Amino acid sequence: MLKILMVCGAGLGSSFACEMMVETVLKGLNVTAKLEHSEVTAVAGSKADIIISAKNFEKLVNRYETNATKIFLNRLIDKNEIKEKLVPVLKEKGEL
Amino acid sequence: MIVVNFIINNILTQASITIALISLFGLMLQRKKAGEVISGAFKTLLGFLILSAGSGIIVVSLIYLGKIFTEGFGMQGIVPSIEAINGQAMNNLHLGNQIALTFLAIFVFNIIIARFTRWKYIFLTGQAILWMATMTTIFGSFAGLKGAPLILVGGLVGGIFAVAMPAIAQPIVRKITGSDDIALGHFCTVGYMFTAGVSMLVGDKTKSTEDLVLPKGLEFLQDTYLSLALVMIPLYVVTAFFAGSKFGSTLSGDVNYVVYAFLQAVQFIVGVYVLLAGVRLLLAEIVPAFRGIALKVVPDAIPALDCPVLFAYAPNAVTLGFIGTTIGSVIAMFLLPKFGLAMILPGMLTNFFAGGTAGVFANAVGGRRGTIIATIAHGIFITLLPALLVVSFNKMGFVNATATDVDTVTAALLFAWFITPILKAI
Repeated sequence: MLKILMVCGAGLGSSFACEMMVETVLKGLNVTAKLEHSEVTAVAGSKADIIISAKNFEKLVNRYETNATKIFLNRLIDKNEIKEKLVPVLKEKGEL
Repeated sequence: MIVVNFIINNILTQASITIALISLFGLMLQRKKAGEVISGAFKTLLGFLILSAGSGIIVVSLIYLGKIFTEGFGMQGIVPSIEAINGQAMNNLHLGNQIALTFLAIFVFNIIIARFTRWKYIFLTGQAILWMATMTTIFGSFAGLKGAPLILVGGLVGGIFAVAMPAIAQPIVRKITGSDDIALGHFCTVGYMFTAGVSMLVGDKTKSTEDLVLPKGLEFLQDTYLSLALVMIPLYVVTAFFAGSKFGSTLSGDVNYVVYAFLQAVQFIVGVYVLLAGVRLLLAEIVPAFRGIALKVVPDAIPALDCPVLFAYAPNAVTLGFIGTTIGSVIAMFLLPKFGLAMILPGMLTNFFAGGTAGVFANAVGGRRGTIIATIAHGIFITLLPALLVVSFNKMGFVNATATDVDTVTAALLFAWFITPILKAI
């Protein structure tokens, strides 16, 4: 199953809020995925297919090597922005 | 009857089980499949026990710091850490069960207040609710409350804060985000409003922080644990130097006393890391359940979310706010003992999250000048409030720590200054 990881500074609040938004977006698109949230260092060794984080964490996320497709959001909880950036990635991965 | 008594006395008094049951009911209310209900409840149980393990690590490190600090500087140095307070309240004061139930009660009161008043805020930052439940339980039980009244009073006070704080912050949050879709759910709001007030007085909002180009080197400050290390390691090592090798060696066994201090500082960060990993597991099932139920009961709810959701609106202000707040907390560290208060060491987690948000608030009303001046004032403010609690915490037997998150401190002061005297009078 498709695995998506949301990350933020402490891995508690904003990544979680983002995860709940992504869940809503995916439901609307009829895509099922395993969603998780954590703090930035979890990118290392993660088996996620897609990693979503805020723009301000771009440098920190990019420190780690990963095969996942990375998405950086200006507004972590903006449904439209999430949809706009997620749909092309889902198409590319053959989920849509 | 024997079975019922056994369950009540031996199982339901275990906070980890109480909180797992709360999660179990939440999942059942959402009509999840049996497998998901059981695995979800188990993960919550796991989360709670990981949290306890993390707090155990923090306490060992803090006891060490307390000893060398007293030896080195001849006074008590208090670490502000709501995580440490939560851990000690659960493990050492055995208030875990009451905290877990108050945590649930705050959710329930939040939904009731949002349903029946015009303030439609649903507070979704689970860890902040947990810290609030911790503080109302500690101070409620110190005021002499027990059993159901302790949980109901704590739940009511916490529920009011969960609606009032997003409501108070909303005029400025609207300015920052340009919409009314989300609110801020973070119990440092009193500090943010204080910062915004100062910034409005001294600032000039036409010159935004976002027009500045900050040095790239500052970006590492975004890394929570790294910036925590940046303060904790020098703090422990310098303190160990002042305590001297003779005293330091009595605590460090075979290890060199400076190396030992370094490792203890890292242990503190390890403790915070483990504790927060526990909190993450603990909340993973409960918060979505709360959100699902709340949205059904309060259809036009505005979700109040954790502070970093505002960071993207003014990233420079976040960095300046963090630096300003840290400078302010260092000033307060030296200033407060002159007024007979305890010495509060800089709390880097709060400085980062609350400081960053304070920066965003300050910039929205007072631009760059407002941000720099007001966040330094913010650092002093958020150090002063927890300092007022130190005497109470010491009396209750807490080791070398005080709370952060100024709204929870405000709630505690409400208990200490108003509810306790009223209860004593009755």
